Amino acid sequence: MSDKVYGAKCTSCGAVNYPTRPVCRVCRNEAFEPVEIGGEGTLLTYTEVYALAIDYETRYLRLAIVELDDGLRVTGQLLDDDPEVGKRVKSTIGIVRKPAEVPIWGLQFVPA
Amino acid sequence: MNPVYIAGAGMTKFGRSEWSLMKLASVASLAALRHASLGEIPVDSVVVANMGAARINHQTALGSALVDQLALYPAMAEAVENGPASGASAFKVGCQAVASGMADVVLVTGVERMRVVNGLEGTDFVASLSQPEVEYIYGVTLPSLAGMFARLFMERFGVERKHLAMIAIKNHENAMENPYAHIQQTVTMEGILTAPEAVVNNPPIAKPLHLFDCCPVSDGAASLVLVSEGIAAKLGGAAVRVAGIGQATDTHAVQEREDPTDLKAVRIASERAFSMAGATAGDVDVAELHDAFTILEIAESEAAGFFDRGTAHEAIERGETRLDGSLPINPSGGLKAKGHPVGATGVAQLVELVWQLRGEAGGRQVKGAKIAYACNFGGFGNNVVATVLRREET
Repeated sequence: MSDKVYGAKCTSCGAVNYPTRPVCRVCRNEAFEPVEIGGEGTLLTYTEVYALAIDYETRYLRLAIVELDDGLRVTGQLLDDDPEVGKRVKSTIGIVRKPAEVPIWGLQFVPA
Repeated sequence: MNPVYIAGAGMTKFGRSEWSLMKLASVASLAALRHASLGEIPVDSVVVANMGAARINHQTALGSALVDQLALYPAMAEAVENGPASGASAFKVGCQAVASGMADVVLVTGVERMRVVNGLEGTDFVASLSQPEVEYIYGVTLPSLAGMFARLFMERFGVERKHLAMIAIKNHENAMENPYAHIQQTVTMEGILTAPEAVVNNPPIAKPLHLFDCCPVSDGAASLVLVSEGIAAKLGGAAVRVAGIGQATDTHAVQEREDPTDLKAVRIASERAFSMAGATAGDVDVAELHDAFTILEIAESEAAGFFDRGTAHEAIERGETRLDGSLPINPSGGLKAKGHPVGATGVAQLVELVWQLRGEAGGRQVKGAKIAYACNFGGFGNNVVATVLRREET
């Protein structure tokens, strides 16, 4: 359980790798420092999905890709009944999935 | 590299099947072997394409299992798993064996039996190809990735729901002439979009995508027999040559792509395939694209080079991709209507193209087709195999 989401900032070129990986996607350096992911941004795209995977008991989920103000793009759940491309949103951390009753924490977005 | 020919092609009807995984694979394989008329010529190697049997059918080592079913021992054998691009990947592996001289005859069979699990399980098994830490944990499924892609693509290029519906209508119409198709039922613009009852007929799956923008979940198998030049000459008849294969990868998570509407792996895989074939997109007479979602037929047709970026929907409006158009796309009915047994799809696309190039496609025959192209789209575009086939006169 974690109330924060982390990416990996390359110590050589400064690129944030999120998802994290052992080799920097930009410069192939192999040293990183953890960086917290989140903040404000704009809604790049979203969907209301009814074709759900296991672990969900709701009828649909809203999912989005958000472009954070620092330029990083992140996927997360959208908690907004009136979404629109370009809308300002901010990240929070919540339970995003509960396989076998073990909660997984991750990014959720609410109107900014 | 030695030339590679396709001597035989066969498949099962796609849809819901009572047959076991290996029965599906065997029936398709025997159809392809009969089509090739090998006689006493032995099969040197068997490659099986499959994505989910380990999980949903509780069976592994499918290459060995198929060899045993078909009594092809002591042929070499293996299975290839590459998500929804497993089919064309297995085909590529088979071609490499012939091209290297390691084998003269290779049987490539794609198979998937998905209807044994419920919808949630089935959707989840395919979703397991998404990035685990930044996509899957949020409830990302393939339809949701397609929905987010569609919204972005449609807003940027002025594609409307009616264009997506035109793809569905066309592919369902083509499938009416394909006895192997999962769904043989025509659909109309009124029924799925403009009439009041369309909201009931065509409910949302991952907005802006609706039911008739999505392929069905199918069981099925498809098979090809690959042979060396020497064997092809011995067999005679119509020769379909593997002119080019290209494959390319992209970031696992869609969010990391510089332009998420750009299907870069489709573009690069296609460039590689055309370059190997010494051909261009303009030379293609018939194409099978990976329309797991209608929007993908539009986006792939641009990335493959058939249309300029942002213009494919206009070509669709003009009917250019219909069976009687200048570039028929998905004469088989595509994934949309023919069905999508995931591991079998990439092989089935090529089966259709072999039949087209041999003039054996019946009521959906594209007249005089000589050069054919297929796009097998794996992941959500992070692993794509493109193939160019050419009919050679013998």
